[in-house]
Amino acid sequence: MYLIKKSSVLDIARELQKEYRVYGPVVEKETRQTMFTGVEDAAELDLNAPIPAMPPKHIVFPHFERIMSYTYDRAAKKADIRPDFDDSRKALFGIRSCDLTGIICLDRFFLGQEFVDEVYRNHRKNMFIVANTCTVPFKQCFCVCTDSGPSAREGFDLNLTDLGDQYLVEAGSEKGKKLAEKMGLAKADDSLAKRKEAIIDASVSKFDAIATDNKAWISRVVNRVTTGLIDEKVWEYIGNQCIECGACSYVCPSCSCFNIVDPQTSEEAADRMRTWDSCSYEGYSRMAGGHNPRKPVEDRRSKRFFCKLSYSQSKKYLRPGCVGCGRCQWVCPGDIGLPNVVTYIRRDIQQ
Amino acid sequence: MSEIQNLTIPEIATITEIKDEIVDVRTFYLSFDARTGGEAPKIKSGQFVMCTVFGAGEFAVSLPACPENDRFHLTVRRVGKVTNALHALSAGDKIGIRGPFGNGFPFEEIKGKNIIYVAGGIGLIPLRSSIMHVMRNKDEFGRILLFLGARTPQELMYQYNLEEWKAAPGFETYITIDNPVPDWDGETGFVHTLIKKKNIPVKDTVAFVCGPPMMFNAVIKELTEMGIGEENIISTLERHMKCGIGKCQHCAIGRTLVCTDGPVYTYRQIKTLGEQI
Repeated sequence: MYLIKKSSVLDIARELQKEYRVYGPVVEKETRQTMFTGVEDAAELDLNAPIPAMPPKHIVFPHFERIMSYTYDRAAKKADIRPDFDDSRKALFGIRSCDLTGIICLDRFFLGQEFVDEVYRNHRKNMFIVANTCTVPFKQCFCVCTDSGPSAREGFDLNLTDLGDQYLVEAGSEKGKKLAEKMGLAKADDSLAKRKEAIIDASVSKFDAIATDNKAWISRVVNRVTTGLIDEKVWEYIGNQCIECGACSYVCPSCSCFNIVDPQTSEEAADRMRTWDSCSYEGYSRMAGGHNPRKPVEDRRSKRFFCKLSYSQSKKYLRPGCVGCGRCQWVCPGDIGLPNVVTYIRRDIQQ
Repeated sequence: MSEIQNLTIPEIATITEIKDEIVDVRTFYLSFDARTGGEAPKIKSGQFVMCTVFGAGEFAVSLPACPENDRFHLTVRRVGKVTNALHALSAGDKIGIRGPFGNGFPFEEIKGKNIIYVAGGIGLIPLRSSIMHVMRNKDEFGRILLFLGARTPQELMYQYNLEEWKAAPGFETYITIDNPVPDWDGETGFVHTLIKKKNIPVKDTVAFVCGPPMMFNAVIKELTEMGIGEENIISTLERHMKCGIGKCQHCAIGRTLVCTDGPVYTYRQIKTLGEQI
């Protein structure tokens, strides 16, 4: 454990900039929204900024990404494929524990199953992660319900905790330790570990008063979602509320469905693009010829919550798919963000 | 997995020959450019590949070839953008292949049992590989029955194989078309009604069923009523797929992914997964 003065905490980002493209929370001047974005000047980064509008998922799993390009010449009977994987050095600075948990979910899903996803593996290959403990929750947070906060326990190279006038810097990897040593950070007294625990406890106790928007007792519904023992009427109501905009999937730190398309770049060349997709769209499961095994919208909605809450899917993530960031509730025009869905299911169980 | 990595990036293959099967359906024989002698990757019967048509896109397609001794080929009906683009190609043109992917048919587990194949229309394509395998290893199985249905005689798949199967010793082959036509002297009526008419074995029997959803449901009803257990009815499912390696999630049914956990399922599994065929 190390210490760094609050006024110089951005020096960590500056040090990282020597080797990495640094991404972090930036408050946009015009909209005053927080975006997790790449910066040239580390001074733009703001560790106290509210939770970013979009999770940093797009840095490891871009919204729209070329994975290969190819040319083909029918007359000469030739084709040539060039893979295009992004393994550039990227650093995430000041990621909050919910969003980091999202990346951990993606790691386990993309790298830990039967096949390894090459595209994702390249994004993650040269990455440095600096997490930031939330000493105060935000209005929509419910990470305490999903065991993903307020402080990260794994997945980071360095973890920062605000102690008032300075930050406690914990190394989570050799890479993190090296950086701290290289910067010559002051060693922290062991007693500060206790102090950090107290800060986390204090943060958790503030959820009742501050994080009033959402609560989600997911443990109560995991069994029902897994076994499907939920009244059809509940899904029907949820389906009727869904306008199929896909926003919940886009803002979710652990949603990772993608589509693949080959837009042509010239007569004889095309790119293979991988783009985000959402299971709420009707075309998601529609096959060529028009047959669609998932027709009604409630059928598709139940799939999303199966993915977030079922035991079967948790086995892939080694935890629930929901990380408690509250963004789906924030963006959903139909009021069927995950916490609300959990509430509807619980109501049904109680009846 | 072969030493050639084609999980994400397709390998290039050349179309060596194209054969017209029935209306809108063609078979494409392939040789693989990067492999010695153009030899195809090893396949298991019941698996599928992802096929790239350059400039159009990629689609999942089942493998009809016999895993032991057959030229690698794809049989494709043109239905959408990419399959139409494939049908516009000619011999010598290049396409891309990823795979093979998927679990394949459970031949080891069904040794010694009777086998009934029920195929409707182009449902025969994914079953062909299995039929060819069983024909080569007839001694490992009991009675072998083939029930093949099509709308018209012109829509019967793999005409050249049908003759072979009809003549094969140990094979009981029944072919039916939906409605009588002048120069057809074979069976008529839907394939599930034909099953009822024939004396089929029920004990120690495994049924492979593949075809359009309507036909599938009718056949399943017939077979289960006759006493064949749901766990002994095997089918291969078709889903919208983008990656083939369990990442894009388009083919999710319940807790499984058709690309990595399937495409071969027993009817019992299909039922508990809770989605339409």
